[in-house]
Amino acid sequence: MNINIGWLYPDLMNTYGDRGNIIALSYRLSKMGIKSIVNKISVNELASLIPKMDIIFMGGAQDKQQEIVNKDLKIKGKYLKTVIENGMPGLYVCGAYQFLGKYYKEADGNIINGIGAFDLYTESPGLNVPRCIGNIVIESKLFPGVKLVGFENHGGRTYLANKNLAFAKVIKGYGNNGEDLTEGIFYKNSFGTYLHGPILPKNPELADYLIEKAIERKYGKDIKLGRINNQWEEKARSWVMDKL
Amino acid sequence: MILVWIPAYAGMTANKIMNFFLILLGKLIIKISQLFKIGSGSTWPGHIALIFNDKFIEDVVNRNKNLKIIVIAGTNGKTTSTALLKFLLEKSGHKVFTNSEGANLLNGVASSIIKNSNVFSKLDFDFAIFESDEFNLPLLLKKISPDKILILNLFRDQLDRYGEVNTIALKWLESLKTLTNKTEIFINGDDPQLYFIGSKLSQKVQYFGVETSLMELKNIPHDVDSIFCPVCLSLLHYHQLSFAHLGDFYCSNCQFKRGEVVDFSDIKINYPMSGLYNVYNTNAVLLLLKSLVGSVIPVKTGIQNKWLSEFTPVFGRQEEIIYKNRKVFILLSKNPAGFNQSIQTVNEIIKKPSFVPLSVTSKGKANFLIILNNRIPDGLDVSWIWDVDFKPILDVAGNVYVSGDRVYDLNLRLKYENDAKNIMTFENLTDAVESIVNKTKEGERLFILPTYSAMLEVRKILLGRKLL
Repeated sequence: MNINIGWLYPDLMNTYGDRGNIIALSYRLSKMGIKSIVNKISVNELASLIPKMDIIFMGGAQDKQQEIVNKDLKIKGKYLKTVIENGMPGLYVCGAYQFLGKYYKEADGNIINGIGAFDLYTESPGLNVPRCIGNIVIESKLFPGVKLVGFENHGGRTYLANKNLAFAKVIKGYGNNGEDLTEGIFYKNSFGTYLHGPILPKNPELADYLIEKAIERKYGKDIKLGRINNQWEEKARSWVMDKL
Repeated sequence: MILVWIPAYAGMTANKIMNFFLILLGKLIIKISQLFKIGSGSTWPGHIALIFNDKFIEDVVNRNKNLKIIVIAGTNGKTTSTALLKFLLEKSGHKVFTNSEGANLLNGVASSIIKNSNVFSKLDFDFAIFESDEFNLPLLLKKISPDKILILNLFRDQLDRYGEVNTIALKWLESLKTLTNKTEIFINGDDPQLYFIGSKLSQKVQYFGVETSLMELKNIPHDVDSIFCPVCLSLLHYHQLSFAHLGDFYCSNCQFKRGEVVDFSDIKINYPMSGLYNVYNTNAVLLLLKSLVGSVIPVKTGIQNKWLSEFTPVFGRQEEIIYKNRKVFILLSKNPAGFNQSIQTVNEIIKKPSFVPLSVTSKGKANFLIILNNRIPDGLDVSWIWDVDFKPILDVAGNVYVSGDRVYDLNLRLKYENDAKNIMTFENLTDAVESIVNKTKEGERLFILPTYSAMLEVRKILLGRKLL
């Protein structure tokens, strides 16, 4: 078995250690005896690579880099929207999460269109409003009995059209907008989230969920995946949680 | 109100009188903090002075027209470069003061002024060198117009505190533009974004870099920050790179490319510290010094080289401490670019023929203690450790012990790099230090890679006291 991981814009959208998510997916796949192939898909690569992937990951970036990506997404965005709609598992963090919404409204009112894969929009609260920065703890119905942990650092506030699609509920921190206690979005096997940390190493449930869905789509439901001992992942998570 | 009349009061304006008392008070605070060992007084006196007179820094500086001011900014290498420049200037017979290590905010600058001036705001020095962190540079330049500014580099560091690299670069450019042509600027010409800043300035700008034969990377590493063309926003290309985003860059879409840099490849420089990042730091300092040669520094390369060989690193930066007869080598490692450079330096040291490998285990050449804290000076967010490439360390390591506030994040990072390696975790730093020292035989080498606050802690353990 092999799984193709599509890493979108690794050279431009990798500001907050998000590379750790790729490391985590590859590590866990290899523990399960599955070969992982990491495909870097950036400005110079063809959009037609996207449908050939099994899992998509895209991270956050700085404003200037996002400008470049925004231009490139004019073409790749259509492919991305289609695979998300078709249920390809994916993880979209911070800047990527915002890009996948309908639009981003800047402080001066200028609107940057997103690709519209998720029914949400993001607004800058104005230049003098502090960013949402800090440790964040969330709870998701997908993973009952577990609290997920990460670090958020975003200026934009995101609002979901349908709050039932939120990925998780905020226990501590800001999440989507610091107001409605929602965090991220979960839509047809795709996750949008503000959690860095990076999110996957310390929250192996989410990493394994993406992997299971990818295997299921590619090889069918009957595949039994090996269990991984998560003692160090859980220790790292509970250690942070205890300090909060 | 009757004041005791002393001649110096005559002719003093209200501001001068206030500064007189602020300096007096500040000096008193410094004395008290030293007496009771509650710190070195490198921030509080300045903090208080700035509360009462927010123009304190410019007031005092403007009263010392003969004092030449040099500002050193950048993400990594500020403290080392400041110390090296101070050392070389003093060797050539000049009086120099600096803001002490770590105190690179405005209050640190003000404190250093209080410490070094007399109560009448007189600074009896030839040079002041102020190191400034990313955020404070524009604030400082609003107050003073330095004679020279050295800009070392700009890497991602504490994004939760400083903000994003592009934002900082933009703020720097705006702030540098406001300075007059009196200020000479020295910029890292291997850094595309900084080179771009230089090209937009009307002041005299000179560029330093390293010779291309030292640039061993062919591909862009993953701790990069500035890989788009600052002119046309296309992806940048490199003929070769030294580390992070520093290298021989060019844009294939527009004309933007690396220009002429001074790399001192024509003369043999006696580099005082290991690692490519210290070649950058040294070249930067030498280029700045070169602009003083003939006017205030009458020296030749030969003498400079002799002086360079006498320079000892600043604490925690490739500092060797002998502890229980073990050679403990501390390399401050506080952000991805810095950490990756520390790792490269360790490998350089281990490859030297004179290096004595571990005798006990045939598996590794040296023992390592890596410490990850996430206090305010370190940055609260530890995501960045996933941008560090730990493989070269795990490849040469005998025992790897980890500790610090976020010991288990670090442990997980290393496990995901190579889970065959046995990594020991310690919640208590003293236990970690003692255990790894016990694992290291007398005369053998132990490398400690700590974040900033961890470095201070580990030095305290090794030296038995708080020593800056």
